[in-house]
Amino acid sequence: MWSALTSSSNFVLESLETFAESTGVAGLFANMGWGSLIMICVAFFLLYLAIKHKFEPLLLLTIAFGMLLTNLPGANLYHTELFAGGHVHWDIFVANAGLLDYLYLGVKLGVYPCLIFVGVGAMTDFGPLIANPKSFLLGAAAQIGIFLTFIGAYALGFSPAEAGSIGIIGGADGPTSIYLTAILAPELLGPIAVAAYSYMALVPVIQPPIMRLLTTEKERKIKMRQLRPVSKTEKILFPLIITVIIALLLPSATPLVGCLMLGNLMKECGVVDRLSKTVQNELMNIVVIFLGLTVGATATAEAFLNPRTLFILVLGVIAFAMGTAGGVLLAKVMNCFSKEGNKINPLIGSAGVSAVPMAARVSQTEGQKADPSNFLLMHAMGPNVAGVVGSAVAAGILLSFLG
Amino acid sequence: MILQAMSWGWSEILWVSLIGFSLVVVLLVALIFIMKAFGACFRVRPSVGKKVDAPPMISPEEIAAIATALKIYKGALHDRESEVLTILNIKRAYSPWNSKIHGLTQLPDRK
Repeated sequence: MWSALTSSSNFVLESLETFAESTGVAGLFANMGWGSLIMICVAFFLLYLAIKHKFEPLLLLTIAFGMLLTNLPGANLYHTELFAGGHVHWDIFVANAGLLDYLYLGVKLGVYPCLIFVGVGAMTDFGPLIANPKSFLLGAAAQIGIFLTFIGAYALGFSPAEAGSIGIIGGADGPTSIYLTAILAPELLGPIAVAAYSYMALVPVIQPPIMRLLTTEKERKIKMRQLRPVSKTEKILFPLIITVIIALLLPSATPLVGCLMLGNLMKECGVVDRLSKTVQNELMNIVVIFLGLTVGATATAEAFLNPRTLFILVLGVIAFAMGTAGGVLLAKVMNCFSKEGNKINPLIGSAGVSAVPMAARVSQTEGQKADPSNFLLMHAMGPNVAGVVGSAVAAGILLSFLG
Repeated sequence: MILQAMSWGWSEILWVSLIGFSLVVVLLVALIFIMKAFGACFRVRPSVGKKVDAPPMISPEEIAAIATALKIYKGALHDRESEVLTILNIKRAYSPWNSKIHGLTQLPDRK
């Protein structure tokens, strides 16, 4: 009996060794193990920000958890090699894919951002924009951050496609950033998504100093004329007209703008309440879970822990700041040509970066600090939703140039 | 395709930025004009030429008198209740736990 046990001791030791090597702990000490540890710490930090400080928790929590899952060695939930070179390697996909690889197909094929846009459209009231179409100008001016950052990123050594993906962070529109990056520079998806959503959460911190710096006390106190009422017919026709015009002039922006307007039409027509409620709630929530998890999963140690990530984070905040400044400055220029009584409060210009409705709320808060009786929220919603259309158009233009 | 094939340099980057931003502005300015034209068609205008009768002038004293009368009238009213107190039925959700048949202790049949 004893001799039988001692003779198989080698087998036992080998089995235990094989088991130990297959555990995640061994993976942590293997190559790039320290990177995984750092990424796990980053994931915990993002989870802390989402739970404790409520920074865009709906997205940051799922992104951080996806980041945690992908960096746990041996979990095999996500494989970068299946998407190497910007293509899906279908020949080895089914044999090797993990859960997050399957879910990531929604990002890779551009499905999730468009579905999110259907929900965003169903939750957005374009009334203030229809009542004051001049808001489109502020929405356009705020996109300057995208193109200036595009130049800056190229200067720092990024390729044109990567520079375009980094620039789009300035649009302050998460789904648009993900849509464009998944096509132009999929290897940067993790850092860009984290930067875009983190800065969107930090809009109340980033924007006010720039707004105060570029405006005078008198300008911040400007009270704007009440917006005209918008009829239901106008609200129904608006998404149809925008879809047709954008699709005819810029087909590459049609997936995003078309989905945005589909959601809005569902809301405004009033005959498909069930669908409208579904896209606003259930569909949106489901897609947010999938999108967050899979975008977080792309933030592997190899992709995230390099100086380029730091550049992306810095360029992202610069893009945001320049977009904000662009909107505020154009509002000031427009005031030079406006009659007394028709003046625009320049604070609403900052809402031209998308970040709906956070940026509009910041305009309202800053306006009320200058004059508590001033209500800018509805006026700021015009440039804010114009910014959504503007950033989708900018993404379409970058896609047609660089794609 | 042409853009993909060409090698990118500073001049191309600057041109793409300039043209890209200009296109965003031009497109959104075009939308402004379209939306303005569209708004002009749908804006509700007061019908011109139709005389609207001015409301008859009522003095503040008359308004005060009407308001006082309404207040007294409404204060004198009481809530009218149905006055029917008959209990029509009581519905209890069926459950084996509150079933009388299952709850009764059945005595053994003694024959």
